[in-house]
Parts: sequence; structure tokens; C-alpha cells
Amino acid sequence: MLVVYMTLGYPDVENFLKFITSLESAGADVLELGIPPKYAKYDGPVIRKSYDRVKTQIKDIWRLMRQVRDSLSIPIVALTYLEDWINELKTFLDKLRENGINGVLFPDLLIDYIDDFEKYDKEIKAIGLKNVIFTSPSVPDLLINKVSRISDLFLYYGVRPTTGIPIPVSLNELITRVRKLVENKLVVGFGLSNDDDIKEALSAGADGIAIGTLFIEEMGKGNLENAIRLVKKFRGLLDEY
Amino acid sequence: MVKEEEIIPKYWYNIIPDLPRPLPPPRDPQDAEFSRIDLLRSILPHEVLRQQFTIEKYVKIPEEVKEKYLLIGRPTPLMRARGLENFLQTPARIYFKYEGATPTGSHKINTAIPQAYFAKNEGIEHVVTETGAGQWGTAVALAARMYNMKSSIFMVKVSYEQKPMRRSIMQLYGANVYASPTNITEYGRKILEKNPNHPGSLGIAMSEAIEYALKNQHRYLVGSVLDVVLLHQSVIGLETITQLESLGEEADILIGCVGGGSNFGGFVYPFIGNKKGKRYIAVSSAEVPKFSRGEYKYDYPDSAGLLPLVKMITLGNEYVPPPIYAGGLRYHGVAPTLSLLMKEGIVEWREYSEREIFEAAKIFMQTQGIVPAPESAHAIKAVIDEANEAKKNNEKKVIVFNLSGHGLLDLSNYESMMKRWGNSGK
Ligand SMILES: Cc1ncc(COP(=O)(O)O)c(C=O)c1O
Repeated sequence: MLVVYMTLGYPDVENFLKFITSLESAGADVLELGIPPKYAKYDGPVIRKSYDRVKTQIKDIWRLMRQVRDSLSIPIVALTYLEDWINELKTFLDKLRENGINGVLFPDLLIDYIDDFEKYDKEIKAIGLKNVIFTSPSVPDLLINKVSRISDLFLYYGVRPTTGIPIPVSLNELITRVRKLVENKLVVGFGLSNDDDIKEALSAGADGIAIGTLFIEEMGKGNLENAIRLVKKFRGLLDEY
Repeated sequence: MVKEEEIIPKYWYNIIPDLPRPLPPPRDPQDAEFSRIDLLRSILPHEVLRQQFTIEKYVKIPEEVKEKYLLIGRPTPLMRARGLENFLQTPARIYFKYEGATPTGSHKINTAIPQAYFAKNEGIEHVVTETGAGQWGTAVALAARMYNMKSSIFMVKVSYEQKPMRRSIMQLYGANVYASPTNITEYGRKILEKNPNHPGSLGIAMSEAIEYALKNQHRYLVGSVLDVVLLHQSVIGLETITQLESLGEEADILIGCVGGGSNFGGFVYPFIGNKKGKRYIAVSSAEVPKFSRGEYKYDYPDSAGLLPLVKMITLGNEYVPPPIYAGGLRYHGVAPTLSLLMKEGIVEWREYSEREIFEAAKIFMQTQGIVPAPESAHAIKAVIDEANEAKKNNEKKVIVFNLSGHGLLDLSNYESMMKRWGNSGK
């Protein structure tokens, strides 16, 4: 499963839409759409900068989301922080659904709202949205197993403490261990960039990979073509497994 | 008799997979101009960074590190405090793990060795750190020497002037010791420009050390707080478990003092992880009231804000502690895993004032003959309280504490305590 991350409207609406429109034929299975938060607590510097850039230039996030929906048929998962929407969660979730978004991924759900995560999970599902749950190596084993069963589409496992920074980690050990706990499809992300990392993740038992920073970097440099070529390349790597 | 080599563990113990809830990850600040998490890659040895973020429950101790552990006298002794028991007339049996028996006089060497080793393995020739009173700097100076590396230690200027003996030890081990603020870093020059007589602070020294390491492509060694440091310190608790087993004893209460949390975590976590012991007590200073007044929130581990934010119990990274005489406890925060365990009620806490710990230290000196580090004297005060409680209830509790360091280089502190609190023999 190839999960492609892109920040909503990056680097500008025109190029963003061109990238989005090409995703499906390039082989992406799911689009993770980043909605700029107030504080990108668990994001790396590249994605943070992409948020800063779009914050000032998108006037209507909902209209743009609608456009994304209309140009794609693969599932779209909105990635944003629960923190920002917690006081108007129902309205926010309704709006996502109205605009054709299929699900949400809140990276702070298990970290900052651990005591209430089941309540929020029910609320998300009650609206008819999918809830993709984010986990990481510091989530205890029992909890990983538990949330893997309620996570929709797949369980997201971020192997590094933040996106886009190649902190050294033992991918094989991390993934082999978590594979045994996960009763669902397992998608691994956070700092995957080179082919070796991806191959290691897949042979250790990941069902899919989530990639973002690399595309943001290419798009930021104005290399739309390269970004799409990378999507195709990752599709190819996945198909080998 | 168990052989020494067999008491030293083969693996370090990591508590993260055994925590009752997820450990909040480190973060970059909201309006970060640069990523602190990214910066870690240029500051720390690669393997240290990998271990900082590992979730392996057991991490293999390299043979080369084990050799050095033997060389510095590990396993350190586990001793029965019969003198103290007799004095207190308690039915409790009291044991202490004596980390002061290492050449540098405290537990700090347990992590200085592997960090230096990993740096050396990556081709680094020079390591850098800061030190307040000097325990950590001494450990780094020796560890660097063991692996034939150079070391530079930024020592807080007041300590540099008031603790010349610590400085001399570091220099004898071969370290370059600088009185911080120095004029060899940009940050130091900036401070000196404003105040040429600045007495220095741990935050400034740390910023200088990191800047110096970055500029010269050296590596920076971390003294406490970070998960990887607690991981390395787990040799203390793992050894203690084996030593207690060979005595046929089971611990009821485990006690340690807390500066950043490394000697406490290293001593107690293996017990928590192996479901041994019934109560765990963390002790700190009433003059730096982080347990009672600290907030559980994201904060910088260093005063300068160069390291990533971590979630911990903290008085705030800009908190300026009063000049109490337990330098190692003058720290604003509590290691993230320990903060979480305290929040969950798994670890209890106590805070004692200087006067109370001075009395406890004297009792220990007079009954056991060992001069404890003032930091460790905090643990001793809690031990005495628990032993008295056991006496009241006539319970044969087994109390085990970590004597994190000796106080032979802190005698000037004890002298000034004598002046303040009198020296009426208790
Ligand atoms: C002898 C001794 N004990 C305890 C500490 C407290 O630090 P930590 O909590 O990191 O072990 C220090 C710190 O300098 C120390 O020197």
C-alpha cells in the first residue's frame, strides 16, 4: 500500500492540483492530505515549512478539498492535529465528510488525548469518517495491539520521533516486533526516504509505506515531474514485494 | 560466590516498552528557526542517538564497554548498613549500592564510558561536555582518556574557582577545562560582553559545549535526563538485583535521589521492569521544589533551549535554583520516563531541606564511615524515615538505596553547612 502525503495547496494551488491529479495513475493507494495546524508538534522541518508557506495563501481550505476530491477516486485521509479542532470537532468532521474526505489521522490522538481516545474514535466513526490511528515506538505493546484492531484502512506506525529527519533507528527490529502485535494492515512512515529503508521495512513485515517529505522537497523546488516520478518509483518498489 | 564478571549484566534495560502509557515524544518548539531534533544528529554520536530512540527492551552492552566497567570496579559493592540499622534500632534491613566506589566517585562514569566508546567507534577524536560541580565532567574526562580521545569540559566559572580540586582531577586525566563563560565560543563572548564578571551557569556552559562541539565536529556527551542515559545507568539496578538474589534477599523499598533522574532510573527501573520491590521513592531537594511545584509539560532539558522539548515535570528551563549545596540536584526538570511514572503514582516522591539532609548525612558518616555526596544524602534521609516507620510498626522491611556518590570532594559544602546549621553531633 502506497500512502502519499502532501500538504494542502503546496507549493501553490496550481502545482498542487497537478500533482494530485497525477497521483492515481502514478500508483498511489491513499492520499494523506495535510491541513496546516497552529503548531505542527510532531512534524519535521520540511513539512513545517510547507505549512508556513500555504497558511498565508489558501483562502478557502474547504473549496480546495472539494477540488482534490473531484480529481481523485482513491481514499483521502486528512492529517491534522486534534488539538486545533477539539472545541468544534463535530462541525469540523461534518465539513470533512461533506467535502468528500474519507477519514482523519490525528497524530496527537494517542499522545495528548490518551485518556479519551476511545471517545474521539467513536465520535469520528459516528460521523461516517474513517479513523486512521497513529502509533509510534513509544506506544506500549498492549495499546498498539488494541488500537490496531480499531484503526480503519490500516495502522500507521511512525518509526522516528519526527518526520523528515533521518534519526538512526533499527527499522528491522522495530517493524518485526510491532508486526506481531498488529492485527491489521501495517503502514510504516516517518523519515523513510531511501530505497534501502523501504526494502528493509517491507521485508520486516510492513504492508505499506507512507512518504511525504521527499515529495514536499521536490515540489518546493518546483520539480513537479520529479515528484510524480518518485511516486511511480515507490509503486515499483512496493510491487516487487 | 557469584563471580564479578557475572554480576555485570550483558544487556542494559530500557523501560520504555514497559511503561503503562505512551511516552510523549520529543518535539521541536512551535516557532522553531531550526529543528532541535535535527540538530541532535550533529551533536550526539550516531549510536547514542539510535539508543535514545530505541524500543528494544534489552540493549547489548558492547564487550569493550564491559571491559571498562570491570576496570572501574564494577560491579560496585552492595553493602549492608549495619551501623545505621543499629543506630536507628530498626528491625528493617538496610542495603546500599555504593556508586561512590568508582574512580570518579559517582555513577556518572556508567554512561560516560559507552558514550565515549560510541563516539570513538565513529572516528571521533574529541568529546565535549559541560559540568557544574564537576562529577559529570570528571567522568567524561576519564572516559575520553580510556579511549584515547581528547576532551573539553566547560565548567561553570564559580565552580571552576571554588572547586579547584575537581578541575585538577579533570586536568590530570588530560581534559581541557574552561571556565564558562569563555571567550572561545560565540555564546560565551556574548555573555561576557554584557557582564565580564559573569559567574556562569549550567545552561551557559551547556550552550557553549554544544556550540563548540558543533563548530569543531566533535561530539557532545549527555550527563542525565535523556532516555539513553537512564538506559546506560541500568547497570546499577541490574547488578543490585543479582547481588540481592545471591544474598537471598528481596527488596521492599527502593530509594534514590533525583537531579535529572539518571541514577534513580538506573537503579530502580530494572526492579520495576522485573516486578521486584513494592515501593519506589524518588527524593529531591525542598529548595528546588520540582516534585511539589513543578508542572508536567513540554520543556527544554537545557536552559539555552538547544535540545528538543520533552514532556516532563519541570520548574521551567529558565528557573534559577538557589545556591544549595547539592549541585547535582539543582536541575529544573525530571527525566521524561520518571515524570510519567510519578504521574501514574508508580513512583512516590519526597523533598527534603538542606538542614534535614545534613543531619542524615552526619548520621551516615558517623555510623558507616562513608562521606556521602550531598545529593545522595537526600536518599539517606528518606531511608532513615522509612527505617523509623518500620520500627514503629515493627516490620522487617528490606530497604535498598543507591548511594550515588561519595562526598570527599564536597567537604567545603559540608563545612559551610556546619557553619549554617551547627555541628551538634546527633
Ligand atoms: C553524586 C550525584 N548523585 C546524584 C546526582 C543527580 O543526578 P541524576 O539524577 O541525573 O543521577 C548527581 C549529579 O550531578 C551527582 O553528582
